[in-house]
Amino acid sequence: MTAATGMSERRRYWLSLAALAVVLPLAIVVNSWDSLSEWRRSEFRTPIAVERGTTQAYAGAQWQLTGLTRLPGATPETTLIVAEFDAAVDDPALLQAGPCAVVLTDDKGRRWLPVFLPGRTVRQGRPAAADKPRCYGLARAEKGKTITMAETFTVPEGATGLALSITIGGARPAYLVFR
Amino acid sequence: MSAEQRLTWRRRLFAFVVASVGAAAAAAISFAMTVYDAANPKPVPLAAPGQPIDTGRWTITFRDARTGSIPPTGIKPSTPKKLLMVEFDLDNRSASTSNAFLRLFTLEPPVPNLPPPAFYLARDRSVAGGLQPDMPERMIAAWEWPQAVPVPQQLRLKVTSQIHKRRDNLYGAPGWFDRDPAAVVTLAVGSGP
Amino acid sequence: MSAVLKGLGGLALAAAVLYGMQRTTPGYGEITAPRPVAGKLGHRLEGRAFAIDIAKVQLARTVATKGAARDSNFTTSGVWVLVEGTAEARTESLTLLSAEWLGANGVRYAMSQRLSSLPGMLPGQRLEPGLPMPVLMAFEIPEGQVAGGTLLIARSAWAPLAEQARIEMAGAKPVDIRPCLVLARSQGRVPWTVSAE
Repeated sequence: MTAATGMSERRRYWLSLAALAVVLPLAIVVNSWDSLSEWRRSEFRTPIAVERGTTQAYAGAQWQLTGLTRLPGATPETTLIVAEFDAAVDDPALLQAGPCAVVLTDDKGRRWLPVFLPGRTVRQGRPAAADKPRCYGLARAEKGKTITMAETFTVPEGATGLALSITIGGARPAYLVFR
Repeated sequence: MSAEQRLTWRRRLFAFVVASVGAAAAAAISFAMTVYDAANPKPVPLAAPGQPIDTGRWTITFRDARTGSIPPTGIKPSTPKKLLMVEFDLDNRSASTSNAFLRLFTLEPPVPNLPPPAFYLARDRSVAGGLQPDMPERMIAAWEWPQAVPVPQQLRLKVTSQIHKRRDNLYGAPGWFDRDPAAVVTLAVGSGP
Repeated sequence: MSAVLKGLGGLALAAAVLYGMQRTTPGYGEITAPRPVAGKLGHRLEGRAFAIDIAKVQLARTVATKGAARDSNFTTSGVWVLVEGTAEARTESLTLLSAEWLGANGVRYAMSQRLSSLPGMLPGQRLEPGLPMPVLMAFEIPEGQVAGGTLLIARSAWAPLAEQARIEMAGAKPVDIRPCLVLARSQGRVPWTVSAE
């Protein structure tokens, strides 16, 4: 009798210890489920490729890349890229739902953020673009208006496969990619 | 209740009473100490100009005070201003560069609507940035005094102190925390250009 | 009797383990400290986010600047250290805002803000991937901290777990302190020149 109870007690003991190995990771996952799903949702994962010359609906506006100009940079190995794009507003609330970010990427995966001020070269080489606002111009979005914006990037001369990606925080995980 | 049950109940009651007397005594003594400290505050030590004051993070030695209309940069301001300038030596005693001297000392009877002072490095005659550790510098604090209020003859400055905690109470991170005032200094205000 | 001893022994063991855990728990400052990447003077240091190459370290008692508007002379109670190098971003555009001189006794001296408005200073240079840029840093340190110093360069001084370049400044020696160095603007690729008076 005592031997049998001793056996079942030992079995219960080891079974509980084994169950701990399952329950602990499960507890961690359950506790961080919210943060995990929030992190996955906040990543920009689905690119919407847009061909040159076409418009694409994104975050409550029709977007179009109107110009991509190369200008000589300060040194022989730098190039200035001036990207001009406009957005025909359909829904200002969606457009202003989150921060806007414009980034130039290349085929090696490097990312260039826009420069703060256009500078003299852009003012001389492409004066129309120097006056356009940067993507914070979306703050003045009204239904039916078209907002023209321009961003300037400093990239190495040999960068190939350049693509412009525009992200609006409220429209994640989708983002626009212009080639 | 049987006799044995009553005995155990009495023993438990006795233990309960003893424990609560101890806890009540602790609470009462702590309360009395707080009331006593509030009623008899420690007097803030007085310091004289020229005497180094150790505030924990800084060692400050006041030199003199004067009024003037030209700030320490030497550039005459576009609109006429009345400035009160206090000159002092400051030594950073912490282990990293710091610009946390902005609230190191305050005017003792605070003047209403007085904007915070600007701090200048006497060596460069320009606005002071961070001070490097173990390299004392002479600095000038300049208050823009309102025109309507007369400048006092004697200036009282209260100097605050800070302590360094390796682990604070919230995050366990190192930091500097305010403590009681270190000293009160009285300076005679002269007049300058 | 042995049961009592076993109980006391277990209690002592638990107390010792808890005491050891309390003493060795790292504080918040250590847990979120920047991740160091070690390097040496004259060698290119490649981190994940940026790469930096410190070429030259010069020491002087005073620094004279020739600016557009006026000439200034900067004196100090210690020694000026002018560090010249090249920096490049690896994957994304960034600015390196924090550079400190870690002295031999553990005291950190941040970049001097007295010279911060000169061209080519590290916190004012936006680094782009694929484009190495010349950078300049100026520190004011006591003379005793020149030997055995380490340069700590990071994107930000407070960001948790940021990447921090640690470059040993074995080439900086107190015998090389010059009386005066002149820092002037230049029109070439490197926007400054450092020359001995």
